[in-house]
Amino acid sequence: MYRSPPGARGFLIAIGLLGGALIVATLFGLLMFWALQAAFPRPVEEGYPGYLILIFATLVLIPILVVLGRRVPYLTDWYYLLPAITFLLAFTVFPIVLTVYYAFTDYTGIRNGKPDRSTETQIVRVEGRQLFVDGNAHDLLRCDQPNCAGQALEITTRTQRARVRAEQATEGVITLTAPPPFTPALVYKINEFRFIGFRNFAEIFSRAGTVLIPVLIWNIIFAAGAVFVGAIPGLILGLMLNNKNLALRGFYRTALIISWAIPVVISVQIFTAMLNVQFGPINRLLGLLGAYPIPWLTDPEWFKMSALLISLWLGFPYWMTATLGALSTIPDDVYEAAKIDGANGLQTLTGITLPLLRQPFIPLLLGSFAFNFNNFGLIYLMGPQPGVEGRPSTAQAADILITWAYKTAFQADGGQAYGLGGAISILIFLLTVAISLINFRFTGALKEVR
Amino acid sequence: MTAFLRFSGWAALGLMVAWVLFVYFPSLLARIQPNTPPGFVRVENGWVYALGGLLLTIALIVLYSWLATLIVNRRTNRKRSFWPLVGQGLTHLFMFMVLIFAYYPVLQILAASFDPRNTLYRILPPASDNLLVRARVLPDFSQLSWENYIQLFDGIIIYPYQALMLLVAALCLLLVLALAAYRRIIGDDSSDSRWGRLQGRSLTAFAILGFLLVVFISPNQFTGQGTEAKFVLWVRNTLFVSGITGILAVLLTATAGYAFARFDFPGRYPLLLVFIFIQMFPGFLGLVATYILISNLGLLNTFTGLVLAYSGGIISFGTWVYKGFLESISKSLEEAALIDGASKWQVFTKILMPLSAPMFVFIFLLQFVGTYSEFIVANLFLTGVESWTVGMGLRNFTTGQFSTRWGLFAAASVLGSLPILLTFYGFQRYFVSGYTAGSVKE
Repeated sequence: MYRSPPGARGFLIAIGLLGGALIVATLFGLLMFWALQAAFPRPVEEGYPGYLILIFATLVLIPILVVLGRRVPYLTDWYYLLPAITFLLAFTVFPIVLTVYYAFTDYTGIRNGKPDRSTETQIVRVEGRQLFVDGNAHDLLRCDQPNCAGQALEITTRTQRARVRAEQATEGVITLTAPPPFTPALVYKINEFRFIGFRNFAEIFSRAGTVLIPVLIWNIIFAAGAVFVGAIPGLILGLMLNNKNLALRGFYRTALIISWAIPVVISVQIFTAMLNVQFGPINRLLGLLGAYPIPWLTDPEWFKMSALLISLWLGFPYWMTATLGALSTIPDDVYEAAKIDGANGLQTLTGITLPLLRQPFIPLLLGSFAFNFNNFGLIYLMGPQPGVEGRPSTAQAADILITWAYKTAFQADGGQAYGLGGAISILIFLLTVAISLINFRFTGALKEVR
Repeated sequence: MTAFLRFSGWAALGLMVAWVLFVYFPSLLARIQPNTPPGFVRVENGWVYALGGLLLTIALIVLYSWLATLIVNRRTNRKRSFWPLVGQGLTHLFMFMVLIFAYYPVLQILAASFDPRNTLYRILPPASDNLLVRARVLPDFSQLSWENYIQLFDGIIIYPYQALMLLVAALCLLLVLALAAYRRIIGDDSSDSRWGRLQGRSLTAFAILGFLLVVFISPNQFTGQGTEAKFVLWVRNTLFVSGITGILAVLLTATAGYAFARFDFPGRYPLLLVFIFIQMFPGFLGLVATYILISNLGLLNTFTGLVLAYSGGIISFGTWVYKGFLESISKSLEEAALIDGASKWQVFTKILMPLSAPMFVFIFLLQFVGTYSEFIVANLFLTGVESWTVGMGLRNFTTGQFSTRWGLFAAASVLGSLPILLTFYGFQRYFVSGYTAGSVKE
């Protein structure tokens, strides 16, 4: 049998070798891709698909791994982790790192670092660093700076493209900082985004009183409330259904998990239809009881109540099932002993059942809190919210942090301010980590892992 | 000190409850405008009747229990209390009310799906003698029609071999259901019995046929006008993407969970922490970055690209759950095999994988169900009606540029939730055990 070098050294060697293999493979993939492009050029619009890089990289990674595994046998333990780690690096870590970077930039839907195709300008002639165009270069390219000083540009031919920087632009001449690598036919302006330091965070905190703090408070109330309104009815139902003498017990149990089984994207939209002020069946029913129409979705405070009502409907089956599962682990002789000692039903409940439920329930409660803290689907699917005076359209009555971040980053009324959205995401991340640390502390999950 | 802390905790809780009851709720009630829109049926003091009806029902239950116990006591000459029977009756009453609460949205959506008039937002009340129907609390069943469903299936061409596959698949599913019912009646719990194996085989056949159908259906077969005629195609797309994502989740997490559970390599613990904490970053806010990545790979608007975009979010949880599962299995068998000269890979494939089937099913199903109702990422990565998923299509019915089409939405919801409902009820056992095992471990 083989043995890994102990401690940090073994870890670093393994990580270094695997990382090296991945980097070499990726570089090889890129090289092959470029070689292919250079050998058989294709028009810019229909270039070779980028996934060829992945295929080339995989082709060379496998032999590298086989050879490495022969030379360094203990590395094969890591091969079991390699698929998961590779996917995690590519599709989780890389996006996170990029998002964190964007959080410190003014990246938006417009300033996205891409060439602006509406500024397409024909190049008439090229002389050294100078590109000659027909007309006023500054107006054609719609530069941000006077004379296009320092403007990033993209130059293309039919099969090639490159990014360059303008030194200045006068009437019909664009002067680049360096001669172009090929003779270009077209030039575009690139909508650059810039590094702005902590300005996004400063913006969030400068308006904290009107946006961040109210949203955070509601977020915590919503998460706690959603757990509460799901767990209490679920607990009661579970306790009632645990009665082995109850007829139809299995039927109730199976029938009542319906709301857990319907996809959220469907059930939340059904509820928003049912909660309509004038036409919704819920208000109609309450009308029969003598109530005036309740502005479920048109009043900011009632919108929050609606969110909790939907949470109740969505959440109780989970808690009912969890209660029944936890109760099934309590042995019957405990109850028999209590009966012999003369305890009545209430005493058994408060003295035995509830204390015994506490242990399995704490992690479930904390997990559910963490889930509802970022319950994007529910709040987002409830649709447009009633406005609140003095708050931006991205953070309305019932918006929680994650919907605020999403609307800021991806919706037109948030200006697709991706940098700002990224900054909010970082805050959410820190809060979620804090919640999870509390969770782990209570449940001791991390100690157990060791 | 602790007594003081406990006291102040309860005091704070009491203050909060008092605030909610005496300040917040009255302010909520004050926000209701005391006027009735046209067509709104309001019964002054209707709650008195409702409460009266409820009390009457309770009284009837008590009376029935008393009488029933009296008769039984007379016959058997015993003196039993009738309160347990009252308790049972009240429990059933309560359960029925909960059932109504749980199924009321289902009833409404079913009714809307069979109603061609798109009645949700109609001012005129239906002409009916029943107060509940006139108030539109109960749906108006006077005009049932399949029109909404027909629109969803408009212009679909099914090739004969597909029809045959569909038929065989449906028969397999029926066989599975019949066997499940039969085995429940004869009390056969083992999956290794004759009927159990037959059930397993027909389920596998159904899954394979379903997968083949999903792969072989092409967009050309949907010739109907209008977006809604592509609904079946959306279901097919969603099933395809969810299925592949689920399989990928199992493939990626199985070996990683095995390594974490059984190997003792340096760096295991920190790496495990990385796996956990990375997942706490709100995944879809990395969407722009993922979008750039997928776009550079040339996989935009392909299902491969979408599956890859999902793949980042599925690793940690599955690894964690599978690791927990393996740790609950005794190591003795593996150790014996290792002493006999088996390699770690052989131990994994020959010993552990067969044992892990239920856990793989759970991980697959969880991913499948989760992906099925996802629409945010799909919305970004897929363009064009032909590659939409169910979630995107349903959003389109309620938020599209055309006015809200509740009838179509309802019909599509009913059909679209069927695969998940079937999966959920069919594999209820896996869900319940997997969820509780996984979350207790967490």
